[in-house]
Amino acid sequence: MKVVPSRSSEWVRPVTPQKPASAIIEIDRVSQVFQTSARKDHVALSDISLTIEEGAFVSILGPSGCGKSTLLYIVGGFVSPTSGAAKIKGQAITGPGPDRGPVFQEFALFPWKTVLGNVMYGPRQKGVRATEAEAQSRALIEMVGLKGYENFYPKELSGGMKQRVALARTLAYHPEVLLMDEPFGALDAHTRTRLQNDLLNIWERDRKTVLFVTHSVDEAVFLSDKVVMMSKSPGRIRDVIDIDLPRPRRRNELLLDPRYQKYVVNIERMFDESDEAGSPS
Amino acid sequence: MISLAALARRAAPVLACIGLLAMWQVASIVLKNDSFPTAIEAIRAIPDILGDRESLLNILASLRRMAIGFGVAVLVSIPLGLLMGRSRSVAAFFNPLLMVIYPVPKAALMPIIMLWLGVGDITKTLVIFLGVSLPVIYHSFEGAKAVEEKMLWSGAAMGLSTAQRLVRIVLPAALPEILTGCRTGLVLALITMITSEMIARQSGAGNILFNALDMGQYDTVFAMIIIVGAMGICLDAIFERIRARLVRWSEPQFDMPLSFS
Repeated sequence: MKVVPSRSSEWVRPVTPQKPASAIIEIDRVSQVFQTSARKDHVALSDISLTIEEGAFVSILGPSGCGKSTLLYIVGGFVSPTSGAAKIKGQAITGPGPDRGPVFQEFALFPWKTVLGNVMYGPRQKGVRATEAEAQSRALIEMVGLKGYENFYPKELSGGMKQRVALARTLAYHPEVLLMDEPFGALDAHTRTRLQNDLLNIWERDRKTVLFVTHSVDEAVFLSDKVVMMSKSPGRIRDVIDIDLPRPRRRNELLLDPRYQKYVVNIERMFDESDEAGSPS
Repeated sequence: MISLAALARRAAPVLACIGLLAMWQVASIVLKNDSFPTAIEAIRAIPDILGDRESLLNILASLRRMAIGFGVAVLVSIPLGLLMGRSRSVAAFFNPLLMVIYPVPKAALMPIIMLWLGVGDITKTLVIFLGVSLPVIYHSFEGAKAVEEKMLWSGAAMGLSTAQRLVRIVLPAALPEILTGCRTGLVLALITMITSEMIARQSGAGNILFNALDMGQYDTVFAMIIIVGAMGICLDAIFERIRARLVRWSEPQFDMPLSFS
């Protein structure tokens, strides 16, 4: 199911607490407190509740230090929340699992494995036969545009290519949810644009649920069905905005679309206002 | 065709050896000291040592102890170092222990070990084991500690258990660092091998060397120094070949990313 599109004039919609039938991820009053020193606690996340529907592309947008990555790690099961709970398909998340595939800003490829070896790792771990895993992996490598680089080591690749491998490696074990942690944050502007386009094209094929962390307003609006705006210290959800723009999205059309421009300008203005207010709500 | 630069690079170590021997030759002629034979005299004594069955067996016995001491040390130290690098409690337990042992010259422990275990192979092998262990543990520890958290998370998301992650992610990721430790360990194995045979004289390459010293056969002493040195160079070269093959993926010659997003 897709996010219900709102009327174009009504571009901001507050999050509705009702639980849709197609919810795949439910985050229920999650808080995360880090002990920075003996007496001082840092509240990274405060009372976050969020429901993500199956097949939706959801971005978590916020300034650095607002805990948006921490929220993603909690869904991934890499970090346990101090209080509250996250669920996937009604099951409490207690640790990482192949139903949630992470893609990190740092790529985190296995440097001792070739491109093919990296992509095959997940399927092999799942018990897929070597010949079959290889065939699937080769197809995925071609899909992310790296045909011919199967036997290269990560060290021999550029940042953009590494992130393509990381995406293919995660897609290879068929996670139900993609967890993308500022995946294009370490790339130059040109490469980032290309990867955004390619990610959307790949996503259009099966419309997997994506949770996408970013600090770029353009990126969030361009990619997402829904943008979750977060504010800083303590990390809170400020607003949830449905992005009612047609798909499949073409960059050259979208950038000229006044609706797109309006989303970007309005979201930026909302962040500016909360900065001026000093203490974000 | 080999370029001139490549040829020069290959010839350099040979030239260095010849240069060293030439300096030695000149120095010994100038100094005219009985206990300092010329390079040619020392080299002439090498075939006598290597041709002698007894000496050869001694040297082989040394190498055998060294191989066992080194091998066992590596097999024990790598897992221990990796565990220390990934578990704070394991590190907290072993770190102070190792800090106490680290600065002690392992040969200094030998008299005590000799009292307990005699002067045989076990004592000498144990000293070699101790000498090799610490650098290998240290480098395995550092290597395991430096493994990127996100790499382990990626493995966990694929369903790897903690133990699987240690063997299949931490071990290969830390391998370049581990092998650096092993290389240091190999040189230390050679050093402790000779010193152990100096203290417990019974057999071995060190025994030949120090017996010759006692008897004033200086050409044999220097010939043995050359033999031990050559053994060190050969072992290191062999190890370096294996190491380079194992960690080809991390070598800097690959450090030229392709320009393509």
